[in-house]
Parts: sequence; structure tokens; C-alpha cells
Amino acid sequence: MPTPSLGSIPTDEQVFIDKLIAIRRGRPGALLGVLEATQERNRYKYLPLETLRYVAAKMEMPLARIYSVATFYALFNLQPQGENTICICRGTACHTRGSRNLLQGARLELGLGLDGGESDGNEADKLLLTTADQQFTVRTVACFGQCAMAPVVEVNHRICGHATERTLQREIETIRAGE
Amino acid sequence: MPQKKISIRIDGELISALEGQTILQAAKANGKYIPTLCDLDGLTSVGACRICLVEVSGSERLFPACTTPIQEGMSVTTNSPKLTRYRRISVELLLIERNHVCAVCVSNGHCELQTMASALGIGTVGLAYNFPKLSIDMSHPRFVLDHNRCILCTRCVRVCAELEGAHMWELTSRGIHARIVSEMNEQWGKATSCTSCGKCVHACPTGALAEKGWAVEEMVKKIDAVTSLVHRRGAQV
Ligand code: SF4
Ligand code: FES
Ligand code: FES
Repeated sequence: MPTPSLGSIPTDEQVFIDKLIAIRRGRPGALLGVLEATQERNRYKYLPLETLRYVAAKMEMPLARIYSVATFYALFNLQPQGENTICICRGTACHTRGSRNLLQGARLELGLGLDGGESDGNEADKLLLTTADQQFTVRTVACFGQCAMAPVVEVNHRICGHATERTLQREIETIRAGE
Repeated sequence: MPQKKISIRIDGELISALEGQTILQAAKANGKYIPTLCDLDGLTSVGACRICLVEVSGSERLFPACTTPIQEGMSVTTNSPKLTRYRRISVELLLIERNHVCAVCVSNGHCELQTMASALGIGTVGLAYNFPKLSIDMSHPRFVLDHNRCILCTRCVRVCAELEGAHMWELTSRGIHARIVSEMNEQWGKATSCTSCGKCVHACPTGALAEKGWAVEEMVKKIDAVTSLVHRRGAQV
């Protein structure tokens, strides 16, 4: 069992996590609830490795187990997320309706370039890019379950159906203007 | 509490088995062979490889023998052209997923994947190879992990967690991205929970986990050492 490396994460976060664990202890799926709430509290909506290490020690779980859970679910981020998230569906229905162009358009618009990820189509559910100024994160999913509205894009948790490069560009402009 | 005895048929033969046993356990106890890859005596069964699929009368579906509990009156078929076809597909999918190049592998000639492929008569594979470029972890002083040869059976994960009690290995990500991982993606040599016991190496059916210092064909796994340890400790899984 890992020993808690106290002091490695801020005290307020420690207190927060300790409380979460105390409430959920012994319940099935406790880990998921703890990780979700911890990520939500994080300013950049992610789970730093030090935080995972702390949770592992406090819940008396092997590091490998926690890491496995945190990387299995698309919900958890191990890297900092931008202030705004643009999530582009790369599922089959959206793909046939041109979601690759949407993705490439968004990457170019935000200056993220086209290198890396999505090279062979295998990466469809894994792409995650954040702008250097931490303003935007572009990511992909494998299907929103809204195929009738394909291609689907989610902007800050709001679903936009029948998206085009033009509408996506406008969404980005609106966010930028509102900053 | 004595376990209840129930009767089932395996390939037509009436056998009596203990309630709660899986089809595989019942078959083994009665000297019947069902091919397996991910199952290892004494560890929990996970049903990862689908080689042990069997037919059960009254159902169109195929069932993994290693995770399906027996039921009174069940009639199981362990071998048929249909089963061979499905087992072959399972092995072919394993072969195309990573880079299984036997000619340069330490486990050539002693590999369970290779043995299974030849037992099923797989000469050439009809599907397109994936050719992923995967890393090799050489950081451990005595052992090496080559992801290119891993079939994600999780025998290493289970033997480390259940027998050694270290739980240093796990699976990370999923689907085509799934990998075996030590601790939180630490290099194996830096993982503090590794006891260097070598159980994972000897439980691994392929050349994915091996001892350093062996050349092609030289790595012979001591699988019996692992399973007999289970029995000596009386582990009940
Ligand atoms: S490293 Fe070996 S034992 Fe572990 S999952 Fe891969 S093939 Fe199985
Ligand atoms: S494929 Fe995009 S919502 Fe289903
Ligand atoms: S041995 Fe049953 S699924 Fe692998």
C-alpha cells in the first residue's frame, strides 16, 4: 500500500478529499464518486497524479488500480483542461457527415495545428488538445447518442446539432468576444 | 458446508460436479480439455481471451467456460467446427493486434499463443495487421516488458494482485489503446510496489514479460511453479 505523501497537495484539497472518502467509505463505486467530485473542484478540471496518489493512500488502494480507473473512463482528465471545452463527435454517423472537417477547422481556428492524434482513425476517442493560453480544449468522443443531429459538437456542455464549420467558428468567436 | 453435487453432460458424457464450479473447473476435474489462454489455475477468471468458448444445448450463444457457472442438467459441447472457427478468429485477432514476430522472440517454441495458433491450424492470417509501434520497458534490472507481444490476458495483473499481494500491474485505457501499466504509468524499475518476485514473468503466456539475458527461444516459463504455489497455499478462488 502506498503511504500518503502528505504535503504533496494543498491542505484544503486534502480536507475536501478526506471528507468525500469518509462519506463514501465502504460503498460500492466509492472511488468513482471521490474522483468525480475531486476533479470537479479542481480549477482546471483534472486529476493531477499527486492527487491520485493521495486518494490511493487514503483509500488504501494500489496506485495501479486508481490509475486504471482514472484512465478507463473518458470522464476523467489527467491533463489540465482549458476554460472552454469543444467536444467534437467522431462517431460513425458524425464522421460520415463530415466531422473530420469540423475537427480540423477547430484545430486550425484555435492554432492547435494538425499534427498528432487522429492519424490513423484509431485515435478517434482519444484526442485531447489544449491551447497554450489554457482558454480552449478540443477533444473528441466516439458518439453522443444524438446521431440524428449529426454532425454533433458540444460547446461547453451545450449540444449543437447539424454543426457546420461556419457555426463552429461563430461559437468560438462568441466565446472569445465574451472573455 | 459440503457443496451440493449436480450432474451435467460434457460432450455427451454424464459427470457429477460441485455447484458453483465453472464449466472449465468441472471439465478439468473430470479430465476434459477445454483450450484456454487467459485463465490460470488458482487466479480469478476474467473471460478476456474467448478461446474457451463452448456450446450449451438450448442456446444459440456461445459461453466462455472459464466464467460460466454450471447448472443442473446442462449439456456442454467443447469441440465442434463452429467452436474451432470462433476460437480461430479470437486467436487471429490477437495476432493482428500487436507485433507477434516469433522468429525474433525469446519465447519462440514455448509460447502459449503460438501453441494455440498451431493447435487451431492457423497458418496465415486473413486479416490486416495493425503493426502498432509500442514501447519496451527495460527499466527493471532483471525483467523486461515488451508491449508488442502482450495479449492483454491480465494474468500478470492477477498473479501480482492475488498471489503476491503487490498489485503493481493494471490495465490502463481501453479498446485499442489498452495497455498493461505498472503503478501510475511509472517505469517498472521505478515502481516501489514491485517485489521483483518474477511471478508475472512466469505467468505470462507470451514473450511479453521475460527475464533479461535470454536469446531467441531461450525463455522457458515456469508456469507450474506459479500454479503449484497456489495449491500449496490452499488459495481458493
Ligand atoms: S504482459 Fe503477459 S501476462 Fe501480462 S497481460 Fe500481457 S500477455 Fe498477459
Ligand atoms: S455518431 Fe455522433 S452522435 Fe452518434
Ligand atoms: S480462458 Fe476463458 S476467456 Fe480466456
